[in-house]
Amino acid sequence: MNQTNQMMMTGNLAAAWGARLAEADYIPAFPITPQTEIVEALAKWCESGAMAARFVTMDSEHSMMTAAGAAAATGARVFTATSSQGLLYAIEVLYSISGWRAPLVLVNVSRALAAPITLEPDHNDVLAARDSGFLQIHAETCQEVLDSILMAYRIAEDERVMLPVIVNLDGFYLSFTREPVILPAPEQVAQFLPPFRPAHLGFKASAPHALGVAVLGGTPYSYFRHQMHLAAMNALDVHSETAAEFERLFGRRYDVVEGYRLDDAEDVLVMSNAFASRGKVAVDAARAEGRRVGLLRLRMIRPWPADAIRDALRSRRAVAVLDQNLAPGQGGILFQEVAACLYGEALRPRTLCSFIGGLGGKNLSEGEFRTIFEQTAEAGVRETGIGPVLLYTEAEHREMKQLQMLAGELGS
Amino acid sequence: MIAVRFHGRGGQGAKTASRILGTAAFLEGFVAQDSPIYGAERRGAPVAAYTRIAREPIRERGLIVHPDLVVVADASLIPDPAARVLEGIDERTVVFINSQMTSEQVHAQSFLPGRLTTLDLTDIALQQFGKRGAISALLGAVAGRFVGLRQESIREAIAQELADLGLSASVIEQNQDVALQCYDAVSTVSVVAGAPQPVGPAKLQTPIYEPPSRGTARISAAANSVLRETGGWRTFRPVLLPDKCNGCWLCFGYCPDGVISMSKDDKPVIDYDHCKGCQICVHECPTDALVAEREKEGGVAWTAR
Repeated sequence: MNQTNQMMMTGNLAAAWGARLAEADYIPAFPITPQTEIVEALAKWCESGAMAARFVTMDSEHSMMTAAGAAAATGARVFTATSSQGLLYAIEVLYSISGWRAPLVLVNVSRALAAPITLEPDHNDVLAARDSGFLQIHAETCQEVLDSILMAYRIAEDERVMLPVIVNLDGFYLSFTREPVILPAPEQVAQFLPPFRPAHLGFKASAPHALGVAVLGGTPYSYFRHQMHLAAMNALDVHSETAAEFERLFGRRYDVVEGYRLDDAEDVLVMSNAFASRGKVAVDAARAEGRRVGLLRLRMIRPWPADAIRDALRSRRAVAVLDQNLAPGQGGILFQEVAACLYGEALRPRTLCSFIGGLGGKNLSEGEFRTIFEQTAEAGVRETGIGPVLLYTEAEHREMKQLQMLAGELGS
Repeated sequence: MIAVRFHGRGGQGAKTASRILGTAAFLEGFVAQDSPIYGAERRGAPVAAYTRIAREPIRERGLIVHPDLVVVADASLIPDPAARVLEGIDERTVVFINSQMTSEQVHAQSFLPGRLTTLDLTDIALQQFGKRGAISALLGAVAGRFVGLRQESIREAIAQELADLGLSASVIEQNQDVALQCYDAVSTVSVVAGAPQPVGPAKLQTPIYEPPSRGTARISAAANSVLRETGGWRTFRPVLLPDKCNGCWLCFGYCPDGVISMSKDDKPVIDYDHCKGCQICVHECPTDALVAEREKEGGVAWTAR
């Protein structure tokens, strides 16, 4: 650690530090690449006494999430982490936990889904949980991973919200990438994050209560599900209060969306997560050539920050949404949501373009960003949107043909 | 910004070397970023790791396509197209190869662009440590020398990174000493940060629909490495001393890659095209009939067909 409390840290270690500084009480764990380093670090700290949490290894992600939710329902502060197939295996339980309004924090380290199997990231895993009632914060840097976990607990545990949160980081590009991270002082974290004392959760002797009871007929079900929606929407204001308090204490500011060089931008690229760093470099390069472009990074995916997105995209010539995911038979998931929230806006951008890139961790190259800006500008001039356009280069296509030839030879 | 790319095989320490370099730079007040890339974690499989060093916050991530310095832990990776050792190397790139050969000999064998320098780190490690093992500290120190980092920061970085791996104080100290010997011994070529290269727009080609026989990921063969000769992953090969073999078949049973078959007289026959050199057979052989011999470049070493 240097004088400014910085340490070289992977995104995974930053996530573990987030849980440690938040003083999580209970950590159920199950390993999966590229997440395992998080629970390994936490296991070590629980063993050494650096953390007072109870660390429990479970037999699957489904059991892990069940234990996490149950522990949160007793009023414990719970942390856990998973990735990809693990998240999907646990997904049934996510809906229960949010229905119990048990505000735990789950870190997802994005990894593309099988089949075919891979280890590298895209966002089909975390976006599969987008309707579960968990809030979602997607991080761009290792610092943001740590900071977002602290913010996530404060937002989740707010009486106006009381919903669990997923903090997402990209496998490899953040999970295994070390960069300098400022470690917040525990005293300041304690000031930022008061002890968890939920009114509706917890068990006491001789005071039995049940959570998630059966409701039939639809009337109570509609009421309670709608309550979850209201709670999620409340998280927008709570996030903004939390961000202000976080900035006051730690000097770093995170909003639900982040604008980069938007001021006079005629075309805007919308994207999320770690590759947004490269996107910003690409914006600078395009600006140096006289293109008036900017970038809008989506940080909070649930609740969907519709107003902030409308404010950032109003009156632009063209907007390109870069989805690092693919819904077969539909296209980019975030494109649909961006388009939907712009429809009612009188000064909406004239042209919307959809790009799909970085699937399975495929590099998003400088050249691909240039192509996005060029095609978006042309579409803006024509006033006709394009897409979904798959970012796949001629060279990559040749490489793929080569692989198919090899596989074909093996088969014959 | 200086961009350093490490190439090695799983177990040689390329990832830890990239961290030693990153930590040493960080200790000297630079902004550093390091990251590895690998598939399923396997001993002997090609691994790459990247370290970026700058004065300003680093916004690049992942792959380094135009490295200023390339550190190659294992020369047998150079001809392997999947390892992409040569990618983005131009005449200004500094290339360090852990090899018994001189840079002239390497040049004569396989033309490499870039400014080449070599040192036999494996031999130094064998002599100093008395056994083969990871050479991460040595690789990290050599890389640190090229980019102009100080001995003290490299010594401290080795301590931090090897302690993180759970190594004992005496092993760490030995690594520090040997690493700094290499720091002094390597003939230096100074690394200069490359100017950002102008990049044109990517030419896209949207794939068209193909029937599932080509449009799904599948390989229909007994071994999925029939064409990929994993023999190149070895630094040591198991060799049979037939007189000592008692024909017990244990090596056959323990071989994780199924590359040992048994002859009619119950002696193991090793498929050196695919044996990765894990040495499990050597370890398990009850009569010491299998011994490990170091692969020698250009000599008995396996070469790609």
